[in-house]
Amino acid sequence: MTAAVAAPQKPRRQYVWAAFAAPGVGWLIAFFVVSVYAVMAVAFGAVDPLLKTPIPAWNPLQWDTTAMGNVLDRVFGGDLGHVFIRTFSFVGAALAGCILIGYPVAYYVARKANRWRGLLLGLLVLPFWISYLMRMLAWTNLLQLDGYVNRVLQFLHIQNDPRNWLDGDWSTVVIGLIYGYLPFFILPLYSTLERIDGRLIEAGRDLGANAVHTFLRVTLPLSVPGMMAASVITILPMFGDYYTNTYLTSGSPRTEMVGNQIEYYLRGSSQPQTGASLVLVLMAFLFVLMVYYLVTTIREQRRSER
Amino acid sequence: MRSSRRDFLARSAQMGVLLGAGVPLLQACGGDSASSGGKVTKGIADGLEPESGPLRIINYADYVNPDVIADFEKEFGVKVEISTIDTDTESVTKLASGAIKADVNHSMANTSIGNLINGGLLQPLNKSYLTNAGNIVATFNDPWYDPGATYSMPYTYFGTGIGFRADRIDPAKVASQGWDTVWQATDFKGQVSVLDDEREAFVMAMLRRGLTDVNTTDPKVIDQALADVMELIDLVNVKVNIEGYKDIPEGNTTIAHTWSADLIAGAAGYLPEGTTSDVLGFWHPPAGEYVVTNDSMGVMADAEHPVLAHLYINYLLDNDVSEKNFSWVGYLPALTKLDADYVIGAGYVPENLRTCVPTSEEIEKGLYYKPLGTEGDALYEAAWSKFTAGG
Repeated sequence: MTAAVAAPQKPRRQYVWAAFAAPGVGWLIAFFVVSVYAVMAVAFGAVDPLLKTPIPAWNPLQWDTTAMGNVLDRVFGGDLGHVFIRTFSFVGAALAGCILIGYPVAYYVARKANRWRGLLLGLLVLPFWISYLMRMLAWTNLLQLDGYVNRVLQFLHIQNDPRNWLDGDWSTVVIGLIYGYLPFFILPLYSTLERIDGRLIEAGRDLGANAVHTFLRVTLPLSVPGMMAASVITILPMFGDYYTNTYLTSGSPRTEMVGNQIEYYLRGSSQPQTGASLVLVLMAFLFVLMVYYLVTTIREQRRSER
Repeated sequence: MRSSRRDFLARSAQMGVLLGAGVPLLQACGGDSASSGGKVTKGIADGLEPESGPLRIINYADYVNPDVIADFEKEFGVKVEISTIDTDTESVTKLASGAIKADVNHSMANTSIGNLINGGLLQPLNKSYLTNAGNIVATFNDPWYDPGATYSMPYTYFGTGIGFRADRIDPAKVASQGWDTVWQATDFKGQVSVLDDEREAFVMAMLRRGLTDVNTTDPKVIDQALADVMELIDLVNVKVNIEGYKDIPEGNTTIAHTWSADLIAGAAGYLPEGTTSDVLGFWHPPAGEYVVTNDSMGVMADAEHPVLAHLYINYLLDNDVSEKNFSWVGYLPALTKLDADYVIGAGYVPENLRTCVPTSEEIEKGLYYKPLGTEGDALYEAAWSKFTAGG
């Protein structure tokens, strides 16, 4: 009876919602396409020999692939290869840190916080009130030789001499990335964990599993889509980050990331086409990750619908 | 390509996609014309009344005293609008594409001025409005980048040397080691920095080897300079930045390849409480081996308020106004009156930092960076990319 009533209204409802979504979707697609094409036009374009400004090649028939060829040579087997490896390593380590720190926090807020949930969510969002760059600058003060971090560690006798955290140590960059992007990881994961049907967890316990097994067999698998979404939201901006390492290591060549090279070529050099080519290469790497995410998500969705 | 202390303050801005190119159409304002082998632009006629404004300026962040701007607004009854840029390259790009319209180009790097002239972006100055031009240091009346100072007036000048903590390393030792001090600083691992500028850093390595052709495009010389600078990564765990002005006084950096003005600014505003300026030191090579750089002011060819722009430049060349500006900015104006004795006597610069004020002889015999051309730029940039990538 219900199906018979709902059937004639369904197409109309779909059209209404599609109409609502169309302007926004169109806007996003148009600006994505235009932006990417603009980057391609710069990457395959020329440079004004006098003023060093980019001359985009809007016509693909006029594209010059020299800069892209050089960039690919440098990425695959050249000096930029290890910058990519370093960037992926930093982002991977920071993501692992986000999972280790963020999952328990998201789990507690979603499942155990009860009346404190609102307050804790507010505290998680609180850092966004302060500019990211200001927070990184604050860290540089905290991590200085005579900063509070060293003072506390010495007071607790964890170290005898002050450590120079800002001397180009990769761990400082990873700590900075984790700190900066952790809220982006926790919030999407929280929304997934919060929606898990409590009856499924109770069923797991009723069927004889202890708390650990219930978590491993029920909660964790059900939270995988949330973790995937949180990971994607977290790592995409991390890959383009160039200021966290700049601020936290004062520009040490040991911590240079791809974003720094892009920034240099686009803003500080006479070769913007090289910077735009680097943007496209990085996008290609991220595209592979995005495809993996989408395929996994679709499979998960189909499995849950069965 | 050049960056500086004020770049750091503005570098927090997010990177944008560079789009658009092409030189905007030039507006002729009447008067004399000038040509430098490129596009012909016209200057303004004599005796014109200033426009009602607003005066639009393109400049680095925090590179002019806000009180000086307020004084100018009050005296001429106009509003001043400042568009800020992060690097000289960005400035040229935005002006050439029309993304920023300006009357005054406040702080042009001398390596860009020739291109701006040939690209038709600057108009010749009408000296009848620049009654204070007689105040400037004589060398800048006929600089190499703008013969006859036809298009530009100097704003600030500074030299490149080594800033250091005199309480940690003996100044006499720095003086005897010269540029090698940076390579010998193994006791200060992690507390050594070089300027975030490919020309400056590689030239430092060249000067260390006694090579004074700071505009060379010889790939062998550049490769050797790259190899030398690369050594610093393992030797002293070198940093690449433009933060010597605060890192040296605050104590995070002991030895920094830096600009003379950074020490003046550091002494004035970045010493921790209880620390005196005695802890600061600055060494530079002797005249003839000393790189001296300056920023310059000019009027854009398509300026909507060219008369007002001339009056603004003239205002900045006034001795008293310039002194007030220097007291806030920390970069020396290129005016004869504000020499070492004056700025030290007035208390702006401590006596132990007298070396931060280039002398007339050092300016006259100074080494100057000149444009390298497309291929030359590419060589330096490729080498720089390798160095900053860590090898």
